[in-house]
Amino acid sequence: MSEEFNDNKTIQAQSSEVMTGGAAGATPDMDYVRPAEIPEQDLYHAHSFITKWVFCQDAKVIGVQYFLLATFTGIVGLILSWLMRLQLGFPGLAGFMTAEHYYQFVTMHGMIMVVYFLTALFLGGFGNYLIPLMVGARDMVFPYVNMISFWMFFIAVAVLMASFFVPGGPTGAGWTLYPPQTILEGTPGSGMGILLMLISLSLFVIGFTMGGLNYMITVLQARTRGMTLMRMPLTVWGIFTATVLAMLAFPALLVSAIMMTLDKVLGTSFFMPTILKAGEVLEYGGGSPILFQHLFWFFGHPEVYIVALPAFGIVSDLISVHARKNIFGYRMMVWAIVGIGALSFFVWAHHMYVSGMNPWFGFFFATTTLIIAVPTAMKVYNWILTLWRGNIRINTVMLWCLGFIVTFVNGGITGIFLGNVSVDVPLSDTYFVIAHFHMVMGIAPLMVIMGAVYHWFPLVAGRMLDETLGKWHFWITFLGAYSIYFPMHYLGFIGVPRRYFEMYDSPYMTSAVGMNEFISLAAFIVGAAQFILIFNIIKTLKTGKAAGQNPWKANSLEWYTSTVPPEHGNFGDRLPVVHRWPYDFSVPGAKDDFIPQTTPPSEVVHTEVEKT
Amino acid sequence: MSSLLKKLFGTLMQKPWEENQAAIDSTHQGYTFDLSNQMSAVIIIFGVSTTLFSLLFTGYIYSLPPEQDTTFIIKKNLLWINTLVLIFVTFYFNKIRSDLEKNITNKIKLNIIIVGGLSYLFLFLQILFWFQLMNDGYFVSNNTYFSSYYFFTGLHGIHLLGGLFFWGKVSSRIFSLPEKEFVNERKNINALSVYWLFLFIVWLAFFGLMFMFNDAVIAWCKELIS
Repeated sequence: MSEEFNDNKTIQAQSSEVMTGGAAGATPDMDYVRPAEIPEQDLYHAHSFITKWVFCQDAKVIGVQYFLLATFTGIVGLILSWLMRLQLGFPGLAGFMTAEHYYQFVTMHGMIMVVYFLTALFLGGFGNYLIPLMVGARDMVFPYVNMISFWMFFIAVAVLMASFFVPGGPTGAGWTLYPPQTILEGTPGSGMGILLMLISLSLFVIGFTMGGLNYMITVLQARTRGMTLMRMPLTVWGIFTATVLAMLAFPALLVSAIMMTLDKVLGTSFFMPTILKAGEVLEYGGGSPILFQHLFWFFGHPEVYIVALPAFGIVSDLISVHARKNIFGYRMMVWAIVGIGALSFFVWAHHMYVSGMNPWFGFFFATTTLIIAVPTAMKVYNWILTLWRGNIRINTVMLWCLGFIVTFVNGGITGIFLGNVSVDVPLSDTYFVIAHFHMVMGIAPLMVIMGAVYHWFPLVAGRMLDETLGKWHFWITFLGAYSIYFPMHYLGFIGVPRRYFEMYDSPYMTSAVGMNEFISLAAFIVGAAQFILIFNIIKTLKTGKAAGQNPWKANSLEWYTSTVPPEHGNFGDRLPVVHRWPYDFSVPGAKDDFIPQTTPPSEVVHTEVEKT
Repeated sequence: MSSLLKKLFGTLMQKPWEENQAAIDSTHQGYTFDLSNQMSAVIIIFGVSTTLFSLLFTGYIYSLPPEQDTTFIIKKNLLWINTLVLIFVTFYFNKIRSDLEKNITNKIKLNIIIVGGLSYLFLFLQILFWFQLMNDGYFVSNNTYFSSYYFFTGLHGIHLLGGLFFWGKVSSRIFSLPEKEFVNERKNINALSVYWLFLFIVWLAFFGLMFMFNDAVIAWCKELIS
């Protein structure tokens, strides 16, 4: 294996010459860069509209395709949440709503938001757009496979959406799809609905594996010269580590989805115990529903970090750029990302405390859950210390970042509550859990997505989004989200159960009526506020101010493309050569308050880079 | 493995902002491992598939019916023949690989045909074995032992079919090239041969699991512990 690159070592890529530059006093070989060993990537250049914009192999276009399709699914999920809140806040107002409908909406909302919106958007959207640009590659290493990956996702979404239109409707088993009730009559959508869900999930996993393969190999093997792993922006570290997690966790989802499909279609009993129905013994027997729970959560908990780690990485970069300061504790941030990723495979059963597990098992998982709070807290400290004495720009991007930190800390603290078995058991089926995971896994990552959109939209479209609209968008979302989820913690404490179609008549339930109405109204407003962004994007595309190159004065490579927006191949004739990490902000002695990654040492000889 | 860990931890300890480290970093070529993209892809697929099959094995052990004779399937002769076929496939793929490294090219085409032929034979025999089982009344829904067997062999077969798709692409290129240019396909051949080796190891693992995980072994383990 070791001689595999020997074939290429004589090839010197013409498009990879050393960047020139020089200042008085620089030593002659200060800017030395070894000649390129890796040959130029042979890109497929599309000529027709179809191959350029539909079946496209350019990772940037694929990223935008992922983004748009994930956003579409997110809007479907949002509408479902409105319908659920309509029922909970104002029972009977939506006359068509039955209990079956409610459970179907809950299930589809959960699955869509977690898998088809957040995962697809962070890894498929940001991953595709940013990885090649940030590591200095022309494209992903296998562009054709990358294209197939998106279209598999497209088919997965189509199959999932089709389940709304089949007899019986989509599955209503809850997003965790726990057997045995999921595939048995009596559960909404136990016919075609659940089958389409399982097929869609399987397609999603297969498609994602193709994409993940690309992200991993591009990061590991296709970086530009000078771009060591520890010079990569934290965004790439976050997306890369989340991809590794996904590649190891999604097989559990795939296995369980196929096994359940076989249980449903061929009558196997992987997850089906002996069951009596109306006095008759069904043909199932010998399987274990708990096995499904283990498999599901072996995927499900790393899934939290599959969403969170890219968010951590992105927010680190946004804070650094908009506070004009290097990221505090870069190495520690990388360690924390990798550490959280590794630990995330040892905490899955904290979702199963009420499954009747051995108490020692619960003790083990409670311990690992609390340990994972350590690297997570380190990240929070480092974000705050990055802001400390920074030259903070209070723009829309920074507002989203600050909103994220507060929300993530809030959701994280309630996570420590729920990580303890004795606290979790009474709170497990209450609104406290809903509030916790929406704060930590819904609103917090969403704030990073919004910050990232405002930050990178100028690169994608070449125009600046409207700041005033952006600030309105932020404040309504931020205050609205807290209006929704703070009261939910209280509802959980007084014992209001989740997953109930309507609240029965009891003193603590009736005391929650007013609060439920308030939460629902806030949810309608927050949901509607998201359309401000869509309006902003449309308005900006028509009349927005031109962004020019590098409007935020950032250092990382995506802002140093040959054109804005970047064309296919990203960097024109010459691939960039990297001379430094991406966090040289406010360096004493430097002409500007930023030093791009491509700036050779000879151009900044009188600066004190190490004192930033 | 130890060098990989050393590399990993060594990388994570770097301080990219320091002048000395920056000078070293600036000479970096941009790739982490001295591997082709094809080989990297195969190694990553290993990781994913290993997780997939490990979870399947765990599920098999977790839900094995207590009354089931776990060695039932491996008592059938056809399964041993299939294993033998898979050994031959792995052997011939390895031979192609070593021949290419030594620049011996006269038997490459023949050996590639043998590899493909034996792989298809393996798949055919697997399906034949399914039919044998069904004729004897052992269906996928009989119990979790048989469900697991059908599921595992199905997944294993799909992985092999995926490999055969790429085998088809590589062999069509080999057959269109003059012998002296076979070496250009070395990266693909290396990657494919490693993939076949992996499928063989997975097969052996499942075979071994069925052989090992039975009442006698469980009783022996319990005796050891007590």
